[in-house]
Amino acid sequence: MYNEFVDEYESYPLEAAENYQYADRLEEYGERGHYPTYSIPEEVKKYITYFRDAIRDGNVYDIPPLYVDFNRLTEEYYKTQSWPDVEDLYGNKLVEQEGRDDIFLILYRELYYRHIYARVPGGPTIPQRFESYYNYCNLFNYILSAETPVPLELPNQWLWEIIDEFIYQFQSFSQFRSKLGKKSESEIEMLKESPKIWNVHSVLNVLHCLVDKSNINRQLEVYTTGGDPDSVAGEFGRHPLYKMLGYFSLIGLLRLHSLLGDYYQAIKVLENIELNKKSMYSRVPACQITTYYYVGFAYMMMRRYADAIRTFSNILVYIQRTKAMFQTRNYQNDQINKQTEQMYILLAICMVLHPQRIDEAVQSSLREKTLAEKMSRMSRNDTAEFTASFTFACPKFLSPVPPPFDATSANYHKEPFQQQLKVFLDEVQQQQQISVMRSYLKLYTTMPMEKMATFQEMSEDDFRNALLCFKHKMRNMVWTKGTSGLQGDFQSDSEVDFFIDKNMIHIADTKVAQRYGDFFIRQIHKLEEVNRSLTKVKV
Amino acid sequence: MAEQAEAMRATVASMLRGIERYNPENISTLERYVELQARENTYDLEANLALLKLYQFNPGTYQLGVACQILMKALTNLPHTDFVLCKCLLGQDQMEDDNIKRIMYLHDLLEMCQFSTFWEEKHQYADLVTGVKDFSDSIRKYICHVIGITYQHIEKHVLAQLLGNIDEQTLQVWMNKYGWKEVESNLVLIANQEETVKTKNITEKIEFDSVAGIMAACR
Repeated sequence: MYNEFVDEYESYPLEAAENYQYADRLEEYGERGHYPTYSIPEEVKKYITYFRDAIRDGNVYDIPPLYVDFNRLTEEYYKTQSWPDVEDLYGNKLVEQEGRDDIFLILYRELYYRHIYARVPGGPTIPQRFESYYNYCNLFNYILSAETPVPLELPNQWLWEIIDEFIYQFQSFSQFRSKLGKKSESEIEMLKESPKIWNVHSVLNVLHCLVDKSNINRQLEVYTTGGDPDSVAGEFGRHPLYKMLGYFSLIGLLRLHSLLGDYYQAIKVLENIELNKKSMYSRVPACQITTYYYVGFAYMMMRRYADAIRTFSNILVYIQRTKAMFQTRNYQNDQINKQTEQMYILLAICMVLHPQRIDEAVQSSLREKTLAEKMSRMSRNDTAEFTASFTFACPKFLSPVPPPFDATSANYHKEPFQQQLKVFLDEVQQQQQISVMRSYLKLYTTMPMEKMATFQEMSEDDFRNALLCFKHKMRNMVWTKGTSGLQGDFQSDSEVDFFIDKNMIHIADTKVAQRYGDFFIRQIHKLEEVNRSLTKVKV
Repeated sequence: MAEQAEAMRATVASMLRGIERYNPENISTLERYVELQARENTYDLEANLALLKLYQFNPGTYQLGVACQILMKALTNLPHTDFVLCKCLLGQDQMEDDNIKRIMYLHDLLEMCQFSTFWEEKHQYADLVTGVKDFSDSIRKYICHVIGITYQHIEKHVLAQLLGNIDEQTLQVWMNKYGWKEVESNLVLIANQEETVKTKNITEKIEFDSVAGIMAACR
């Protein structure tokens, strides 16, 4: 079906995007209830009609390519201006007003507002932020209040992006609301009058309801023990729409808790997800990457460096191997690439604070110039570098409550970030002697305390404290088994370790033999891949 | 008494399930629970974090005294990083408070293992410590943990000093608790570290899983 559609519309003469005069429309648009017809490019009209029909008929196979095509048409016609709004669809008789196309319109609006957030200069206006919120409410009400599963199937990618975008818009709104400096009185008035909109409780409520409705936690539990998740899924949970929304909501909660600085809860919501295994739930790359980014970040803040390092290297290896997938430029991929860059920085931070062995391929990326320079500055305790790296790589922290609207502080929106930064820098500060000590310790196998203390120009008591601090900070809680990421044992995976016997320090270093196997395995896989692609080439 | 704490733990756990976790009506129960933990020397990180989160969502309900108690209790659970987790849920203006700052200082001392300073200055924090049952002993536990991972033999007077200049009798109690033996005069055997802390030689190991794919492809 969809192929026909492609063939058909390629033969349409493409109209120039300027024909759609959005700016003029705003001025002319006076009386409600009277919708003048504005020109929408034929190709777009055709697209909307097909999309509408696919939703009307519940045509599962047509929806994924149509969803993808939204990006292409955006590049073509709506690079920086918004898509036609719903009134225009009515005006052009592309949709019916009464009931029949309600679901299509909700989905269309979801794309419409998301596009405004991503592409339209100046971003959404306050009314648009509100409308988009209500649209999500309508969507989730439709899905959640039904007595039997709603007859809707959407591609996983889209379902993920719905949850991801829902939280993004909440985050964006919270940030926007806190920036009082540039707001007019009428804007502040509008915000004051609408405390319910993008309220943190509503957002949490949606995510929790989706989790509950889908029985996803129970499903995951059964799944990890090798059972059939359908056996406990219930009527709704068996339905792919509910199941996947439930799963993505867990990731959404991970993100939301992280943005609020609640790292314990962030990791805890994933307690039924086996992160260190591939699963049938891990098919949306953007979701995988987001998951690992937030999990890794939470571990780093909890001073579980070994876990953070494992988490980041796992996903970075995966990204390196699937790089080709993220090369086309669209905003989803921009997001992935940004997050990848952030994770390299976070990994670099963790590796400075807790040096250990990691995957060779990821290690070699850390040796690349800018990262290597950052790491060397950080290992010299350069606070400015720690600050800059953290600032670049951390999530956009937010405050769950509106600012005091009468306050004049212009930096209210930065406070949550400042707090997390402070926690991080305090930790770095506590550890600042460690890297110097490590470089000394590395040089010896045994060394009297007294002598080493003199080298470092410390009293013996201070030096003993520093040694104790080294041992304490290098011994992290590390995940060993089970699905809960919070559990673990104290381990010390540090490259350089030591113990004190009476007054003598005994140092244990890590010696690493050259590795070949990994390299060969990788090359063999590459060769096979090339071979496979070659056999597909038809001459 | 311990039963009371156990019962409370179960009640609170059921209170914190799902979306109910964010119900501001839970605040007073959770506050009483913090008090109970301090009084009975029990501990429930998750409940305390849930309370701090409720404060975060409802800044008007914030109780400085309770927050201080939560932080003091978090110190008693060192070497775990509970304190850091609690700190992440506080706001900047809350951090400005003097008592909070004093607790932050104690945390710094303990994390940096400046135990002598900690014991010397402890009396200045009597107002914060009083409400927390067995505070000093909880800190000693943490110190013993750090000593346990660091030392093979330690001089007895150093050990006593790190634990807060305790007398011979108390020292014996702590040594017995951890099975530490006095082997010579003034020398205590903590543990044999040679077995656990040794130079690692990482040689290459190839897991069957990583070659299984290749072998299958070669058939």
